[in-house]
Amino acid sequence: MLGSPSLRLVGKRLLMAVPIVLGVSILTFWVLNLIPGNAAQQLLGPEASPDQIQQLEEEMGLNRPQVVRYLDWLGGAVHGDLGTSLVSRQPVTDELGPRLAVSGEVVGLAFLISLGLAIPVSLLAARWPNRMLDRISMVVSTTGLSVANYVFALLLVLLFAVQLAWFPAIGYTPLSESVTGNLRSLALPAIAIAFPLFCFYTRFLRSDLVDQMQGEDYIMTARAKGIGPWQVLLRHAFRNSAFGLITIVGLNLSTLIGATVIIEQIFALPGIGQMLLQAINTRDFIVVQACVIVFAIITVLANLLADLLYAVLDPRIRYGSN
Amino acid sequence: MAVTEAPASSVLAVDETAPAPARKWLRSLAIGLPAGLLVLIFGACFVLPLVAPIPKPTGGDVLSSSLPPFSPGHLLGTDPNGNDIFSRILYGGRSSLIVAISVNLLGLALGGSLGALSAHFGGAVDTIIMRVLDVFIAFPSLVLTLAVAQSLGPSQRNTIFALAFFSIPAFARISRAATLRLREQPFMVAAKLSGTSTWRILVRHIAPNIGPQLMTFAMLGMGIIMIIEGALSFLGLGIPPPAPSWGNMIAQGQLSLSATPLLVVWPSLALFLTVIGFNQLGEALRARWSGR
Repeated sequence: MLGSPSLRLVGKRLLMAVPIVLGVSILTFWVLNLIPGNAAQQLLGPEASPDQIQQLEEEMGLNRPQVVRYLDWLGGAVHGDLGTSLVSRQPVTDELGPRLAVSGEVVGLAFLISLGLAIPVSLLAARWPNRMLDRISMVVSTTGLSVANYVFALLLVLLFAVQLAWFPAIGYTPLSESVTGNLRSLALPAIAIAFPLFCFYTRFLRSDLVDQMQGEDYIMTARAKGIGPWQVLLRHAFRNSAFGLITIVGLNLSTLIGATVIIEQIFALPGIGQMLLQAINTRDFIVVQACVIVFAIITVLANLLADLLYAVLDPRIRYGSN
Repeated sequence: MAVTEAPASSVLAVDETAPAPARKWLRSLAIGLPAGLLVLIFGACFVLPLVAPIPKPTGGDVLSSSLPPFSPGHLLGTDPNGNDIFSRILYGGRSSLIVAISVNLLGLALGGSLGALSAHFGGAVDTIIMRVLDVFIAFPSLVLTLAVAQSLGPSQRNTIFALAFFSIPAFARISRAATLRLREQPFMVAAKLSGTSTWRILVRHIAPNIGPQLMTFAMLGMGIIMIIEGALSFLGLGIPPPAPSWGNMIAQGQLSLSATPLLVVWPSLALFLTVIGFNQLGEALRARWSGR
């Protein structure tokens, strides 16, 4: 179980995360306010008279000083109210929920696929370095890292949706409607997100494992004791490499958010990335602000989770030595 | 530390299997091959349109639209607007490369010096700079870029500004970490003790030492920026059509993906080759510099 030192570590990390999330919200607010032309103008269209614009600005509270508006927003945000969309006039939080679920499902599937493939492949590659499988996995992952995810997504569409017609090219089937339909509609987007991740994890894990197997003293000791190569690889080397992998997975999450924006656009998925892109294009600042905050919180929480896993896995941190 | 020595010994272990000249040759090939590819790409994008009779990338004739590859005068054929695809690839590459180079130079200059200064001075300056950078790093970079690109309006210059927003913190991190590692080196201590001015230490001692690492990162950064620039243009927030960019060519091709997949394939292939060139060059340089 977690001892108190690790709990304290989590507490400390949470406290450190607060100014970061605040900073992100201030930065977003500031950047969005730099944008020429505000939401009132956007809503009323180009032929609105200055009087009309002014009236709507007052109605929406846009004429108040920036600091006041920020604090007002922050006050609501702390209570879980992220404001009302300027375009749909609906509370943002109502829309966020279902969209987060869609994006979460895609990203979750992508993680499952990428880790589920990367771990066994790197273990096999590290078990027999410089052999066939190792070489192939290195070539694939090196090449794969140079392929833009939107290019890869389009190739997938071309091959599996247009040529073979195994999966739908675009659209989303809710889980409540049909489970297989849901998985089929998410398969290509999840693979498109998973492939670069797979390449990244494989490259990292394979070289980390090989480095350890060839150089570390405790590996030598374990081998000298007569422990089998698989056992050494899994019980000794992999356990150590898992730390690096966890950090990388945690750090990846913010890049993944960028990926969801593009992938959801290509596959027309009603996720949070699509919501953000629409909001950016309609200059619905409230929605943009809400999405960005959600992203920032997810990023920070993911890193926190990585730290927490560290504490669970590493006795040195768990017992608070050092 | 034992951990830092382990990779070096493993490199030696692998190298022993190959005879010395072959090893050297392989190593120079690892740098030469991607470098050669990049020289070819740069030459094609920047020099070829000046010396060869390449048609204009825009303002094509509708009468000669959607010609197949190897049509007379159009090596890769034409797009639905009647523009020569090969020419669009070259001019598109030109603008993508200009964006990527500018962004990386901005990152290298501003981020690199920010990180080095932050690490060198330490204390409150360092803490403040690092906290601000933390915010930028927690900020989903593409989101920021999208917002900035949308607010400034799509154009090449604004794409550069938007992308610089997140290349600067990345470079600052790398340069800070590299500078911190230098701090305890004997020559740094000697320079400080002998009363060398801060400016001189930064220029003569820190910069040359962190330079290779930053350059390596810049190579990898070129690939990353090329891909993100493509993404921006793909989403319609980068380089605005009709001016060509690989990203907006891919986006345009997506509209007729099932009928004319080649419209997507050509710019994708160009992007892939360029990115893999930069990535491989970066990797090879890293191996070379860390191997010594």
